[in-house]
Amino acid sequence: MPERMPGRIKGATRLLIWTVVALALVLAPLGLPPFAMTLLTEAVILGLFAMSLDLMFGFTRLVSFGHAAAYGFGAYACGWMLLHTGMPLLFAVFAAALLTGLMAIGVGWMCTLATGVSFSMLTLAFAQLLYAISFKWTSVTGGSDGLAGIPRTIGPFGLAALSSKTGFYYLALGCLVGGFLVCAALVRSPFGAVLRGIRENEAKTTALGYNTRLYKIAVVAAAYGLGGLAGALYAPFAGFANTELLFWLLSGQVLIMVIVGGAGTLIGPVLGAAFFMLMEHQLSALTEAWALYFGLIFIAFVLFAPQGIWGLATTRLRRAAPRP
Amino acid sequence: MPLLELDGVTRKYGALVALDQVAMRVEEGEVRAVIGPNGAGKTTLFNVITGTVRPTAGLIRFAGQPIAGLPSHRICRLGISRTFQITALFPEMSARDNARLAAQARHPRRWQPFGGARIFKEAQTLADAALEQLGLSGIADRPAGLLSHGDQRLLEVAMAMAQQPRVLLLDEPTQGLSVEETEQAVDTLARFLKVSRMTVLLVEHDMEVVFRLAHRITVLHRGAVIADGAPDQVKADSRVQDAYLGGFE
Repeated sequence: MPERMPGRIKGATRLLIWTVVALALVLAPLGLPPFAMTLLTEAVILGLFAMSLDLMFGFTRLVSFGHAAAYGFGAYACGWMLLHTGMPLLFAVFAAALLTGLMAIGVGWMCTLATGVSFSMLTLAFAQLLYAISFKWTSVTGGSDGLAGIPRTIGPFGLAALSSKTGFYYLALGCLVGGFLVCAALVRSPFGAVLRGIRENEAKTTALGYNTRLYKIAVVAAAYGLGGLAGALYAPFAGFANTELLFWLLSGQVLIMVIVGGAGTLIGPVLGAAFFMLMEHQLSALTEAWALYFGLIFIAFVLFAPQGIWGLATTRLRRAAPRP
Repeated sequence: MPLLELDGVTRKYGALVALDQVAMRVEEGEVRAVIGPNGAGKTTLFNVITGTVRPTAGLIRFAGQPIAGLPSHRICRLGISRTFQITALFPEMSARDNARLAAQARHPRRWQPFGGARIFKEAQTLADAALEQLGLSGIADRPAGLLSHGDQRLLEVAMAMAQQPRVLLLDEPTQGLSVEETEQAVDTLARFLKVSRMTVLLVEHDMEVVFRLAHRITVLHRGAVIADGAPDQVKADSRVQDAYLGGFE
């Protein structure tokens, strides 16, 4: 049996790498040109989105084919509040995330009536339902035009810095780090141990006396809430929210990010999202058929490195590190 | 008052009567075996008691409280733990983690979504004690999926015991074991049952195992109880011999 979880890098090497990464991310606005900062901010937002799916996919083996529902819902909710209520940016972002999480309790309740592929199909059906609504409910969603001109309202607390380009980057980065800390605590908690049980043998977990359905609904709500946070950041970042944010293509892409990055590792999906964006950017400059080439890369990962980028990196580093 | 009491328990699947008016009383501290030929309804009986299958009719009382119709996780938390005929474990977790997750299920804050060092520690204490009781301490750090079949069967019992149940339901604990493995597992079980004085309901095919472990035997045939008594009585019962034992000894 292969070892699933790539081991953690120990000691000094680990500390050093994290310090370098943290410094690079914090100092990035000083050195990078504006265009690169835009890409980096989007990568951070997509990373948060992919990480949220990992809670379901990697830690509970709940495969969602409709995670775009979380992203799009968060984006539309945040965009609508910023456009129509004069709410400050920070408040709208978190309110939208909370709304997405609450909405997901219903989604989770409905989807967990089924298991396996049927569960995945229900998540897809729900996302497609939202997609259809976003087209039809023109008065709220703007129909096929979407919501445009979403402002970054500063609000009463003088947090003007957040609405600048650099400030918004730090806001997104803060959400990513905060999201990671919450997820890391969650998967290591007693609750997380039960999720692991569901992942490995749900029938047995039920037989031990756990109401597994409640745990699944809770993790769906958490994952959607966090995915909604990512979407809520995207709307004021891009200045618009459109129907593409609810489309199944995005649900597929975020699954690919999680798998390529390394499912069940939290950090892996963030790297997967960055890798996906980098490839999209670089390959699309060379050829229109970039998706085809990325597809080949994805197949290569599934066949030869199923533990993903993070799995490859940790194995390499552990080998390179001196034995204690 | 019997700890577990069944009265008129019936389960039908269409025209098939899997359980037919089953009545049974299991006293505290008793090791009760349920035997019967294939398809006699033994596993259905377990499923009905643990709530994975609802009885079509009848009453089930546990410590005086009616439990028929409750969801299985609720029944489990009242103090009924079971093992499965086909080994059911968390194969990638260590044996210790398997038992810990079992013990955690009985903790009032088993769902806590942060921290939890104390909950884990309390669950681990119960888990380690159960592993010790079944002689698994030496291999507790190995992934459960890599244990020998015999140890996997015992680990399932240890997981049930880590929950400190009031009744333990064992569904063919020696299923799929070789002759030597069976002997070892039964030795361990016999020793453990003697020390723990656990109330046990045991389904088993192997008659030697049954006569070694059980205080009392209930014989099922086509879903109905046809005999109930001490092992010697049951062995001598002519109807049981006709229906099932078919020249045992």
